Amino acid sequence: MNAMPHRPATGPIGAPVTGAFTGLAQRDGFRRINVIQGETRVSQEKDVVLTTVLGSCISACLYDPIAGVGGLNHFLLAEPGMTETDPKSMQRYGVYAMEVLINAMMALGAQRHSLKARLFGGAMMRDGFRDIGAANAQFARRFLADERIALVGEDVGGISARRVEFRPALGLARCRHVTDALPPPPRIARPTPPPAATGDVEFF
Amino acid sequence: MTQIQSKGPFVSQTIMTVDDSPSMRMLLRAALTDMGYQVLEAEDGVHALDTLDGVTPETAPDLVITDINMPRMDGFGLIEALRRQPGHRNLPILVLTTESSDEKKARAREAGATGWIVKPFNPEKLAAAIRRVLH
Repeated sequence: MNAMPHRPATGPIGAPVTGAFTGLAQRDGFRRINVIQGETRVSQEKDVVLTTVLGSCISACLYDPIAGVGGLNHFLLAEPGMTETDPKSMQRYGVYAMEVLINAMMALGAQRHSLKARLFGGAMMRDGFRDIGAANAQFARRFLADERIALVGEDVGGISARRVEFRPALGLARCRHVTDALPPPPRIARPTPPPAATGDVEFF
Repeated sequence: MTQIQSKGPFVSQTIMTVDDSPSMRMLLRAALTDMGYQVLEAEDGVHALDTLDGVTPETAPDLVITDINMPRMDGFGLIEALRRQPGHRNLPILVLTTESSDEKKARAREAGATGWIVKPFNPEKLAAAIRRVLH
């Protein structure tokens, strides 16, 4: 087995991780970083490969070909079986998840108008529930259209989990459908929790 | 130009939102319109200053809600520029951002921001914050 890359504990979307990924397991000369639900990673290093496994969650892989900067996020806006979630609240959270990614890329020199996007995930992982994966994919497409970010490729929907590999500095993405046995299909994830300070107001 | 804050009781107050994300501006417009405010939009600090140069006392905003990370001129630059203008020295400015570091909050406070709100915003908390700064 390959050594697992560093996996921080699952938590709310926090500060996106950038910079040098030292001390990570290498294979094939690439540094692979697994991105779990709620995380955002960006990089401009050519040997970095961001990987993630998606069920009904969505990953947006964004890339600025001029700056050579890319990144991906991994989020879910609601969960089947939950009490009906306020659609406006879901939308506010989704816009937030995308903004964290875009801001982190801009901090590395990306320009909003050069961004190109690929979308992955949004599968229907269980029969009998409303298709939350499709709703997540629909949100992401709508967001990209509103932001005038070119959607250059997508593999969304369906009923199987996906493994995505993305080389952020080059904008190269590969998406494989994960069949039953290997690796274990992801559980139906809970919605990504917003950060603890959500909506908090502080007066100066 | 000293009449900016003294609109009649039947004229709704105006809020200027400054954010480079069209999606975010749409979310804010929906929420603020629901609260009964007029909305003026700008997509970065430069655009906000240009827009404010062109407003009449009737259309001038009573409050600015600004993002921090924006191209051309960020939220810090916008706050500093507004505070240098005598007409905007007392204009309430709320920062609305994904950022929550103490260092960035301190920078905003020094620049002259009125308050700091962490995204994603909660409409009830946002409404309460607006009422508090608009009196």
